[in-house]
Amino acid sequence: MKKSIATLLITTMMAMMATGCGGSTTSTVSTGQKSESNSSKTYTVGIAQFAVHGSLDNCREGFLKGLEEEGFKEGENLEVLYENANGESATGAQIINNFVSKKADLVCAIATPMAQTAYSTTKNSDIPVIYTAVTDPVLAQLATEDKKPVGNITGTGDKLPIEEQLKMIRSILPEAKKIGIMYSTSEVNSTSAIAEYKELATQYGFEIVESGISTTADIPLAADNLVKKVDCITNLTDNTVVSSLPVILDKAKKAGIPVFGSEVEQVKKGCLSAMGLDYVELGKQTGKMAGKVLKGEAKASDMPYEVIEKASFYGNTKVANELGITLPEDLVKSATEMFDTIDTLS
Amino acid sequence: MSIILGVLQESFIYAILALGVYITYSILDFPDLSVDSTFPLGAVVTASLILAGVPALFTLPLSFLAGGIAGTVTGLIHVKLKVRDLLSGIIVMTGLYSINLAIAGDKSNLPIFGQNTIFDNPLLAKFQGSKSADVMIVMITFVIVMIVKFLLDGYLKTRSGYLLRAVGDNEVVVIALAKDKGMVKIIGLALANGLVALAGSVYCQKQGFFELSIGTGSIVIGLASVIIGTKVLKRFRRIKATTAVIVGTFFYKACVSIAIAFGMKSSYLRLITAILFLVILILGSGREKKRAIGA
Repeated sequence: MKKSIATLLITTMMAMMATGCGGSTTSTVSTGQKSESNSSKTYTVGIAQFAVHGSLDNCREGFLKGLEEEGFKEGENLEVLYENANGESATGAQIINNFVSKKADLVCAIATPMAQTAYSTTKNSDIPVIYTAVTDPVLAQLATEDKKPVGNITGTGDKLPIEEQLKMIRSILPEAKKIGIMYSTSEVNSTSAIAEYKELATQYGFEIVESGISTTADIPLAADNLVKKVDCITNLTDNTVVSSLPVILDKAKKAGIPVFGSEVEQVKKGCLSAMGLDYVELGKQTGKMAGKVLKGEAKASDMPYEVIEKASFYGNTKVANELGITLPEDLVKSATEMFDTIDTLS
Repeated sequence: MSIILGVLQESFIYAILALGVYITYSILDFPDLSVDSTFPLGAVVTASLILAGVPALFTLPLSFLAGGIAGTVTGLIHVKLKVRDLLSGIIVMTGLYSINLAIAGDKSNLPIFGQNTIFDNPLLAKFQGSKSADVMIVMITFVIVMIVKFLLDGYLKTRSGYLLRAVGDNEVVVIALAKDKGMVKIIGLALANGLVALAGSVYCQKQGFFELSIGTGSIVIGLASVIIGTKVLKRFRRIKATTAVIVGTFFYKACVSIAIAFGMKSSYLRLITAILFLVILILGSGREKKRAIGA
């Protein structure tokens, strides 16, 4: 009887695992179709993303586009395994382990902790790692000062174009003095961005008012406090803060001050404008690097990491009208994309 | 093969944490939530010490000590200030977040790639021979978890260990023996959190970096391992509870790996864990009821 309970238990668990497989994120390949440009080999690429996040999703989308431009098409000569660690480090390590055991040809790690996990977990295999959305690969010890990789790992950095953002704010708000920035103390990228903001702000006549939070629950109070003290707010790519963007936008709107974003998704959701990175573009650049590695044209261990040099301007005219602010014409002309609606859903 | 090695590495490291959770959850009957912060505490102490040039081996006892202090604080808050057990853990967990950040020098990510660790040092390289690095990691983590297990087994047989078990089972006994049950609880919490921090230290050295968020979900992993281990292996009376916990951790980690390997959406992992929990608890309590009637 007791043994049967144990058997039942184990079977139940296995069954649960099996049913869980229904919503498979793994895209399998139909080997019937074969790409003409490449040899008949099907390549397996494991994509490990640290958390669910708009920018990171865009990176992944761009990554696949970049691979496609290099001749690797999902469903033809490319098998994509995608897993998300949901912000849990322990899961991240197991995801990479799984890729290693499935003998993936390449691992793509999205966001800093994932890249570091991928580096340490694949160290003993010969699988190359390409990372993206790592703000400072040198600080994360994934590259040396001269941009050289520390191992069989390279990729792209997503350092914010902070100086361009300050210039943009100055041209939109010539009178503004204080810029508020909310960030989570737990995100290393945010703390380094704050430091850079502080260093550069005085050149443009700004003073930075920072507001550190530790959890999502702190945001409403911190926002109430911050909007009273500043002339505008600017965002980083801070995961915790960005995920609560609607709260901040609401408080800022009531106080009549604009919120600037750090990338396109935030402008869509109601930030006035942003001098930001195009994460799809960043992902594409990463995908092309991965393509070169897969083709054998380059080795990850030899390629220096890359960054996107150009910042793109995004503006939201609806938000501008609501705030009674006119966006300078030269900025609008240079815009990569302008929005006239506020997308509260996505 | 590499997936089994990976699961073994993860299990042995988290088994140390699970042994800590076993002390609080099973022995003391104390729901200690501070684990989510003492695990990163061990990691941050380790990363900082290694960066400061302290030999890797010394970081293990020092992390244990740091975790022990955190556990003592939880105990003192509960026993001396008479705050409820659950809340004492939450208070320490919350406060430690800032302390962990402060130890890291206000950085939430400290990489120690390229530094000497217990898994990567010149001395070890001599012993490695033709063995792969993954096998070495399995062996090292196994040795650590076995040392912890035997020390804990030994401790539980001492006078102090008996009292610890008595506090969880029947406080009256401890009071009747004219012992301070508060003191016993504090010792138990210190020991438990010491082990959790030790697990954090080993984990950090294996991964090559400290990240503030690594503690997320560790209490769940610990509890799942303890419950799976103790409930499933209960009928094998010969098996010590500590062994059961280690096996439980392996079982839990293996389940997670199987789920990922079969392409299950990782966003469902927590739901699966919750269901797993419930099933095991229901099966476990069914047996206890029967036994209670029988007695």
